[in-house]
Amino acid sequence: MDEAITVAIDSSPCNALDIDMVIVANMLGESTNGQANLGSLASSLFPHRPPSLRVEAACASGSVAVHTACSLLESKKAESILVVGVEKMTDAGNDELAAALMSAADSEKDVPSGLTFPGIFGLIAKRYMHEHGLTRDDLSRVSAAHHKNACKNPFAQFKKEITPEQVSSSPEVSDPLRLLDCSPVSDGAAACILSTKYESDLKIAASQVSNDTLSIADRPTITSFTATREATEKALEEAQIERSDISAIELHDCFSIAAIINLEDMGFAETGTGVKLYKKNDPNVSINKSGGLKACGHPVAATGVKQILDVSKELEASQKRWGLAHNFGGAAAICGIHILEHTVND
Amino acid sequence: MVFTFSNTLLMTNTPPIVARSKKQRKNLMQSGEILSFTTILNPPAGFPKGGRRIALIALEDGTNVIGCVAGNAPISIGQSVRPRMRLARINKAGLRLYEAMYEPVVTIGKIMKKEFPGYIIALTGPSGVGKTTINGLLNKAFSDYVQHVPILTTRKRKMQDKDEYKYVSVEKFLELKKKGEIISATEIPSRSEMRWYGYRASDIQKIWNVGKIPTVVTEIHLLKDLSKHYGRRSILSCGLLPPGKSKRAMLSQLLHRLRKRGRDSEESIQDRIKNAEKDLKFFDQRNDLFDHILVNEDLNAVIEKLKGYILKLSKANSY
Repeated sequence: MDEAITVAIDSSPCNALDIDMVIVANMLGESTNGQANLGSLASSLFPHRPPSLRVEAACASGSVAVHTACSLLESKKAESILVVGVEKMTDAGNDELAAALMSAADSEKDVPSGLTFPGIFGLIAKRYMHEHGLTRDDLSRVSAAHHKNACKNPFAQFKKEITPEQVSSSPEVSDPLRLLDCSPVSDGAAACILSTKYESDLKIAASQVSNDTLSIADRPTITSFTATREATEKALEEAQIERSDISAIELHDCFSIAAIINLEDMGFAETGTGVKLYKKNDPNVSINKSGGLKACGHPVAATGVKQILDVSKELEASQKRWGLAHNFGGAAAICGIHILEHTVND
Repeated sequence: MVFTFSNTLLMTNTPPIVARSKKQRKNLMQSGEILSFTTILNPPAGFPKGGRRIALIALEDGTNVIGCVAGNAPISIGQSVRPRMRLARINKAGLRLYEAMYEPVVTIGKIMKKEFPGYIIALTGPSGVGKTTINGLLNKAFSDYVQHVPILTTRKRKMQDKDEYKYVSVEKFLELKKKGEIISATEIPSRSEMRWYGYRASDIQKIWNVGKIPTVVTEIHLLKDLSKHYGRRSILSCGLLPPGKSKRAMLSQLLHRLRKRGRDSEESIQDRIKNAEKDLKFFDQRNDLFDHILVNEDLNAVIEKLKGYILKLSKANSY
């Protein structure tokens, strides 16, 4: 966390004393690290100990923290807010970590059956294959593509290419999902500074959050996520742009099937055809150039902040104008969408 | 530093949580149908080691539940299951923890053997989209091929009603439903009462007997019930949408149509718009229940398309 905060301040026009609020996104502090009160912990890294806040929304903690920061800036409660997402997952053993992660699902409807998150997305993948005829080999393209992208990202956890065949033959975790369909256990932190005081060529043009039921059992369908659909619509309306304007997407691929459904729910593919975007390379839009959750890593609450940084980097490198970060928590029980605008220098 | 994680792991076993889950157990003890399933090879701590089969199950009362499926017999989506109570484990405090789990009902070949009864054309769409108008026109223009199935309803007759409804009391409706004569039913709330609508198997059979294709006007529940009773293959399911690029544009189009037709009070129109919002969501979420989605911008174009389907089905029915 210290490292991420230092880099964020050093790469911005601000100094530490300009920060008038710190927001920490974190999910598992208590259960895997025995540490709560993370806002105070982050604040104490600053010489003037600015007021702080911790945000928890499972895997969407990062985007919800940025959304909270946007609201505070709009309400003029603060002028420069540092948002840091942080998760240290490897302190805990496998059983403890699995139980802690499962607290993001419905404790009365999902947990008692012995369900796990790979199990939830196994149910989703099985149903999706039944409805749309997606094949195991096609599903394997998703992780392979994300791993290929990660090779060029110095911050990625796995800078290693894998083939679709390797994904298909990796050990089964939760039928039909296999080990290489699943994002890994990661430690990580990501920080950014949002300011109404200092100018930047990168702006948040839209920040939206939508919710769905916590348990997938309460939904009319499990092959489409309402929260993603609603948040995307609201964000496009806020930014006043069309989908076709977007040239960089970082989406929440906690499991490979989620990437396919997200592309459909965000409207970049027709229902049942999301995998097509992994079959042909569209030069006009990049998907998870960072490697995504699968290959860059998924330190739960850091992910939402990291995605926004990755989209920013991609827009700066490509000199394109619009990018989108999609981040959800639970089985898309909450979804945060941010649209970034890069002022392109002519 | 050593952390104690037992609290996290045992959280779902504490007496208050067990007491709450006991209350819900009665609801879980219903038969149902598998919507999806998976085998978790490494179940969480506290559960028996080895593969654990878990399914998302649609219960008879329309709710969904996530539950463990017993045994190793192969299962499939759409398969029937029945509930059973079993001792899941005994926690450290000696509390015996029971769970509702489901066992597959052996129906080998039953689905395959089920006789294909014939085709039904179902028109589904939000209130005001023109389902009744289109159904009426189809029945006029292609009366040699199709015939509409009367809807049984508990609501009172309205002046504008034509011959699309048969009126029954709530008691009679529920009795027919219980006897299994009504095979597709839905309860739609209005401000003053709950109104039942449904279709009788005998009405549909009569139409098949004269060699025609029954046409039905449906909504979410009616369509699901018909699909379940006759098999999804029997239903040529057409979704009708109002024109408009966004949901908001579609809803405003519907509002305009409902006001224009002057059949309902403003209160009732507001109710219908609320229901229409849900219906539009359903189109997105259960697209597996639709064969064709038609946008009712030009009535003639919609009729022309449906004509094509009718002729194809009539041909198929005559084989």
